[in-house]
Amino acid sequence: MTLDDTALLVLYANGDRRAAQELTARLSPRAYSVALRVLGNRADAEDVTQEAMLRLWRIAPDWETGRAQVSTWLYRVVLNLCLDRKRRGSSVAIQDVPEPVDPAPTAPEQLQQAARVDALQVALMQLPDRQRQAVVLRHIEELSNPDIAAIMGISVEAVESLTARGKRALAAALAGRKAELGYSDV
Amino acid sequence: MSEMDQKPTELEALFAAARAPALPPDLSARILADAAAEQPRLPPCEPRRLRPHRLRQVFGLLGGWPGLGGLVAASAAGVWIGVAPPGFLPDPMLMVSQAEQSMNLLDVHDMASILSEEQ
Repeated sequence: MTLDDTALLVLYANGDRRAAQELTARLSPRAYSVALRVLGNRADAEDVTQEAMLRLWRIAPDWETGRAQVSTWLYRVVLNLCLDRKRRGSSVAIQDVPEPVDPAPTAPEQLQQAARVDALQVALMQLPDRQRQAVVLRHIEELSNPDIAAIMGISVEAVESLTARGKRALAAALAGRKAELGYSDV
Repeated sequence: MSEMDQKPTELEALFAAARAPALPPDLSARILADAAAEQPRLPPCEPRRLRPHRLRQVFGLLGGWPGLGGLVAASAAGVWIGVAPPGFLPDPMLMVSQAEQSMNLLDVHDMASILSEEQ
């Protein structure tokens, strides 16, 4: 039987260490992915992920079941921490940090894939904060509009508007690089 | 819904490529270390004090084993004195046998004399 996140959090609060491992495996990749795409900086994304998970551990004993989904709460904390980091000023942009070294020989296709992801990240960083958050949650994390509305504390219509404008802006920003990225049409 | 949402485009391919970035190798270890440090500690279990059983309460009132031993010794001595009393005490068994007395409950002799006098 697979336990949901709330049940695992209750188990963690009752001293079950395996619950912490399972929650970390489930939630930290999603938190890191959002933080990385919103901040555009790996070191800051790591710090935000660790801080968000730390807040999860601390709230576990007082977690009210039925209040909100654990993942929704965590995404909200991640976005707030990202905004705090942005206000303080980010240190290094992702495009200035080399990709992690892959021990396997790098194929040309992998190089192009990395170049595409970098190009998308550069375009994402040109979007206003709220648009970027909505686009990341909708198109990269593939969350539903009602879930995004709950996370961002806005209406579903506002989410639709933000993602539509964000997507148009991304398409426009990447249009000039389609040949470089190996696409005939973006 | 716009045309861009209806068919997968290169933009969708870019989104897919950006999904699930590799987690830094030591990040999970740091998160789990935080989890272990923050995990609530349950208070150590103390043996529960059970309410003593009623017989045990009586046992305690009697003074425990010393008190119960004295009580048993006194009871045995009383029984022994009753069965085989020392010489200076009256034998209770003998007292019971001597206490037998004849009793004419109907006082038959007096009635017979009355009847004879009437004749």
